[in-house]
Amino acid sequence: MFNIIVTGNLLNQQTAEQVIPALAKLFKLSTEKAAGVLEKAPMAVKKKVPMEVAEKYQAALQSIGLETAIEAVVNTESPVTETESASSEPSEPEAESASTPSSKQPFSEPKDINQSTPEHFQGLEFKLDGQPDYGFATVQIPAGETLKVEASAMATMDTNILMKTKAKGGIGRMFTGESLFINEFTAENGQGEIGIAPGAPGDIKHVYLDNQTIYLQNSAFVASTMGVATETKWQGLTKGFFSGESLFLIRCSGQGDLWFNTYGAIIEIDVEQNYVVDTGNIVAFTDGLDYNITKVGGYKSLFFSGEGFVCRFSGKGKVWIQTRSVPAFTSWAHWYRPSKN
Amino acid sequence: MQVELIHRPGNTAAKITLAEGEACTTESGAMIAMSGNMDIETTTHQKGKRGLLKAVKRMFSGESLFMNHFQPKDGSGELWLGTALAGDMMEYQLDNENLIVQGSSFLACEHGIDLDTGWQGFKTILSGESIFWVNLKGSGKVVLNSFGAIYPVEVDGEYIVDSGHIVAFNESLNFTITKAGKSWLHSYLGGEGLVCKFHGKGTVWCQSHNPGSFGSSLTPSLRVRSA
Repeated sequence: MFNIIVTGNLLNQQTAEQVIPALAKLFKLSTEKAAGVLEKAPMAVKKKVPMEVAEKYQAALQSIGLETAIEAVVNTESPVTETESASSEPSEPEAESASTPSSKQPFSEPKDINQSTPEHFQGLEFKLDGQPDYGFATVQIPAGETLKVEASAMATMDTNILMKTKAKGGIGRMFTGESLFINEFTAENGQGEIGIAPGAPGDIKHVYLDNQTIYLQNSAFVASTMGVATETKWQGLTKGFFSGESLFLIRCSGQGDLWFNTYGAIIEIDVEQNYVVDTGNIVAFTDGLDYNITKVGGYKSLFFSGEGFVCRFSGKGKVWIQTRSVPAFTSWAHWYRPSKN
Repeated sequence: MQVELIHRPGNTAAKITLAEGEACTTESGAMIAMSGNMDIETTTHQKGKRGLLKAVKRMFSGESLFMNHFQPKDGSGELWLGTALAGDMMEYQLDNENLIVQGSSFLACEHGIDLDTGWQGFKTILSGESIFWVNLKGSGKVVLNSFGAIYPVEVDGEYIVDSGHIVAFNESLNFTITKAGKSWLHSYLGGEGLVCKFHGKGTVWCQSHNPGSFGSSLTPSLRVRSA
């Protein structure tokens, strides 16, 4: 693991007046805070990142005229054990969150420069249009890199991109309501651009996974970089059966970009103790949250409230919910189906 | 009860915050999420009151026979409401007055508002829409939903609205069902059929889309249902 240090020296005859706004823009900071970084220099602006990420930061900081140094972190937690604990013990979220200080608040908004992660440092450059009603993602794929995209979600792409269809993710994908196949888009001769439009009218959410795990409801997966491992996870018979959704969830873990889509707009909820979500409206949730399927209120409510079973999350983490649900819409549309006679 | 509408107008959800001791009545099936301390009670009648007759009437209005009452325990709680169809919502403050809401547009109201299904006479049967309307009475906040966008029309005199596009109207308005065109034949061929003609002074809230028309446009692409 490496730390990136801003030495406080300026390159290319830049002046502090030129560098501070650039730095503020890069890290999405206020100008005062960016000025504070230069004042306090030498200062670590990003801690405990792998060498490739550190080099990306260094290049970006040098391009705005800041001299940087990369310092190896001597730590009892080696990067190997950290990745292992994250991927090999998915059932014990505490183990993961305890091992790295950065994953304590995995998806919180950057508060100071040490936590901030500008999108173009880690992961790919992309933009989202048409939010929240008709989300559309345009992703720049660097030369030689590959993006996994849900089958049929590709809307546009330039001629640099080569598509391969893979039956990846195992038989489990068949049960998640996803296609058995996933398409891989590789930028062959230079950077390529791909436009991704999910099937349902709704929003697209981007999350950068930094050795974290999130669970997606079936059909929410849109795209990810190759560093994100997607696998189907059996929910267990009782949880899965009553959830009204699939018996499987999609487990996304590793490092890289992940895009998922919703039907309707997206609402992000920070769960502190516990929260109840209609099973048809769950999109995704972070590892570390426990959940079970229960009824709302008493038995009368179970049958007559129109809510049926709900999902009760407990613990600390984030849940993403969608404002519309497919089952609710289809049961409305049911009355417009032509009848046999 | 505090109401916050987000992601308007297409994918609106209502965030309702209830302080300790406050309660709110919602249409059944509208809850999409809520804090863990929220209690839910399902009744056929208004909380604390009896009235099976009202419930049966409500069933005819296109609403469910049952209503849900949410009340937080140990402090405040929050509740998110959504609908099956895409569209906007509106918050309306009733000030000791009556608001008449089209059956499927009612979403939630503050506890304390009297909810009744008003019989608007046989004329409404002809309109092809729900026979009953929800009559909200009293003082407090009301949340309504629509299919598409909501726009208010100030009526002073007469105004005509297609019956499938009505969300709600002030009780100060009267309406009659009439034909849209000059002749019955033209009204029928024009696809407008019957419309509501409002008289008086007040506001009619209209929705930009008609659920019935959208539903019928789906029919050819849906599979046959067995029953």
